[in-house]
Amino acid sequence: MKKNKLSLKIRTGTIVLVIFALALVVPSPSSAATLLGDSSTYLQSRETTDATKILSAYEYLDFDVQNLGNETISFHTGGWLRYDVKNEGSDNKTNNDIQYSYLSLRSKTANSTVNLGRVMVFEGLAAERVDGAYAHTDLRGDFGMSAYAGVPVETTDIDLPGNSLIYGAHLTQQSAGLYRIGVSYLKEEKNSEDFRKEEGIDLWVHPLDKVEINGRSNYNAATKEWMENTYNLILGSFGGLRLITDYSAISYKDYFIGATTAVFRLKAGILDPNEKASILGETASYDLTTAVNVSVDYKSYSYDIAGNAKYLGGNLRYSVAQSGGAGLSYHRMEGDTDKLKYNEYRAYVFKKMGKTDLAIDVIDVKYDTAVNGVTSAYSASLAAQYDLTESLKVGADVEYSKNPDFDKDVRAFLKAIYRFDAGTGARKGA
Amino acid sequence: MKNKTVKITFTLLLPLLAVVLYACAQTASIAAWHPVEVPSQPMCSDCHTDSRAALNHTSDYSTRHKFYAAQNRQTCGVCHKESFCADCHAHKEELKPSDKYKDSPERALPHRGDYLTQHKIDGRINPASCFPCHGRQNNERCQVCHR
Repeated sequence: MKKNKLSLKIRTGTIVLVIFALALVVPSPSSAATLLGDSSTYLQSRETTDATKILSAYEYLDFDVQNLGNETISFHTGGWLRYDVKNEGSDNKTNNDIQYSYLSLRSKTANSTVNLGRVMVFEGLAAERVDGAYAHTDLRGDFGMSAYAGVPVETTDIDLPGNSLIYGAHLTQQSAGLYRIGVSYLKEEKNSEDFRKEEGIDLWVHPLDKVEINGRSNYNAATKEWMENTYNLILGSFGGLRLITDYSAISYKDYFIGATTAVFRLKAGILDPNEKASILGETASYDLTTAVNVSVDYKSYSYDIAGNAKYLGGNLRYSVAQSGGAGLSYHRMEGDTDKLKYNEYRAYVFKKMGKTDLAIDVIDVKYDTAVNGVTSAYSASLAAQYDLTESLKVGADVEYSKNPDFDKDVRAFLKAIYRFDAGTGARKGA
Repeated sequence: MKNKTVKITFTLLLPLLAVVLYACAQTASIAAWHPVEVPSQPMCSDCHTDSRAALNHTSDYSTRHKFYAAQNRQTCGVCHKESFCADCHAHKEELKPSDKYKDSPERALPHRGDYLTQHKIDGRINPASCFPCHGRQNNERCQVCHR
């Protein structure tokens, strides 16, 4: 209970802090604050597996306010809300989320940054959303340091003690162009008890021209076992040929123990919690021309408990910037169980014609053994987008699918995307 | 007792803060955003010869972007707004990224097509690939079955 209050205080404190800081730096009308933003309005029509018809309207808004009285201060926020115009199966017609919302203070030297509010943290082993603070700075000797602390933003739909605190740090050292190695630590507490205690090593190494290795090893200090070892070796390009080898070893018991959603409440017979998986893959990718790429890929899935599987296939891609492109792919899954024996096909084409974009995408999965009496699960979509003005794009698409869960499913999607800053030139690439 | 611990921790952190400030590199921070417009699938090595050259957005880059983002996210931020990450890495997101961008079939976005059937297969093959987005955050649609 005390912890609940503490988390609430931290969350409230963070919001108050952000508002207070905003009030301090909010620009006067004459200042040169720059507003970058998008409004994306979507209307989606779909049907659930129990034939409930749903028509949902979504509004996504994101804003970046740069140069808030000072060029080193900015504010970033993004979120969405949904309203079900029609939903025969539920009284819960609305939902919303603040995806991120923080005040950022950035130094002109050392990449020193402090973010306050709801921040997304991707540092070493951490991929978290936190109501609190995040800070980073480069140090002398090509070291870098990041730290964060706050209340984790999580879905807790399984029986876990109320609230929690999360904090962690990431220390890196690099030799520019040769390597970067990092160590990280993360701890999450729930009601004063350790919930997660994780340690990680991450690295990127470029020992020779055309040779690159990257990956990470994460250790669960609570269970005292390795959660994950994942590494890539990238060779090339040799005249357009690139070879990518990837290896991953996961211990489910140690990897999924920090889950807070029911999805990862593993059960023996479906997904054994004591399973250990290792995945070895190889991809050979060749650029025939600047516009055409062909690749073949292979993955071997090995499990201690479940049956093994192999996945192999190839892709052919054609793409010309600002014009269009097309793609074809085929993959075969060959596993020890019936469900893991299928062929996967995909073909797509997209074309830009003046202010209009068109795209067609067809995906088909053919099972060796019928699932719910269906051996072919396919979907086909047709999408169009039109630039009404430099700021406003409108689009629509329709998707038809048939699969083991739906006899005949038709979904429609409308969208309107408005850029608040079009024409100012003050925008990042995406 | 608790107050005493807080005071001791705070007292110890002050000299640490001073050390960090002294140790801060004096190098200029990287640009807030990329000074020139880049194409949709940039080949960073066309201009950069240091570690940024590894960020070439080749067709296989999407499967490896997590490694680069975990080590040096500030570099990602030079070209990408925060909303770019949030399109996929979001809390209780309800719309599939591939639904929002159906007019860009060339983009490597998760859950293309009607993914309801396929997610049962992919989830068994490599559940760790689902975990970053669904392990501690989930949406109402997932909760209909996963309760």
